Amino acid sequence: MLKKRQSLLNMHQSLSAVLLPGYRRRVLGLLLLRPDESLHGREIARRTGLPAGTLTRELKRLAEVGLLKQEKRGNQVLYSANRASPIYSELAGILRKTSGLADVVAEALAPLSDQIDAAFIFGSVARAAETIGSDIDVLIVGSVDFGSVIDALHPAQAQLAREINPKVFSAPEWRTNLEKKNPFVTDIMINPKIFLIGEERDLA
Amino acid sequence: MTLHNLLGISLEQITPAKETVRRLLDGAARHIADAKVGAVSAETRFASAYTAIRMLADVGLHAHGYRTLTSKPGHHQTAIQTLPTTRGVDSQVVIRLDKLRKQRNLTEYTGDTVPESAVAECLAQAESLSTVALTWLQTHKTELL
Repeated sequence: MLKKRQSLLNMHQSLSAVLLPGYRRRVLGLLLLRPDESLHGREIARRTGLPAGTLTRELKRLAEVGLLKQEKRGNQVLYSANRASPIYSELAGILRKTSGLADVVAEALAPLSDQIDAAFIFGSVARAAETIGSDIDVLIVGSVDFGSVIDALHPAQAQLAREINPKVFSAPEWRTNLEKKNPFVTDIMINPKIFLIGEERDLA
Repeated sequence: MTLHNLLGISLEQITPAKETVRRLLDGAARHIADAKVGAVSAETRFASAYTAIRMLADVGLHAHGYRTLTSKPGHHQTAIQTLPTTRGVDSQVVIRLDKLRKQRNLTEYTGDTVPESAVAECLAQAESLSTVALTWLQTHKTELL
């Protein structure tokens, strides 16, 4: 699932891809958006899907310019975001609004996850056809109520400086729409999605 | 935001009239009842509950001597966002109402399917706003009832 999520994430990274080369974007996206986490090289390689050798060089360079902090724990070197870097907040902001967008939405929904079977971003953001300020369309299948979803997503809108439009279907309602070949649902099924909770097969 | 600041931008001044308040309250009640008719589509029930919300928001403005300039874009938004001023409605509620307004736009202009969860939220908000409106009028503007 992680791999699939990664590949789907890559699809909508057009904007950040132009700004930052691939490896750097993924490493910074991982660490700068989780400034409280320190990770070792192997863990970073696993989460970003990057080869360990190249990654080590990348991590070293980012630490040399002060974007990352390095600390030794036992025989491991741990890396984390360096909040003291003069461009930390700006860079994290750029990543949050581009490649980190899905993570921000997923985090906002996390407290409701026990009432959610599947959640994903669809529409222009998922198709990488977004313009700056495009709304983020989110579809949720589960027992959660619409009002709670609005409340949970509201702070993320300010963080991303974009409007988030959720749609919440109960599982039986979603199945009925699938069976009846509802055009809205059919359209969603054949178009790209960025999964936040669950995966494609949870929708069928 | 004071209502006076919005004069000419999104609001105009009117003289509050008992008949208008009654018409809007009756209209809202009819739309709430229609939103509960299970035989019609979720889209129609949602639209009906949303209309009730808008009418109840308009009652709030009307009772204060204002109405939205329907010639200007965003008059639904104005009616909803002035609710904290006209009725003391909590800003958390306004966030939900505003999202329902956005859903209504998506539905009417792009043909998006309306899930039952949105109908349920819209109806619950309409009913709650209806109670708030009546209580407010009974407390502050009995002469309009």
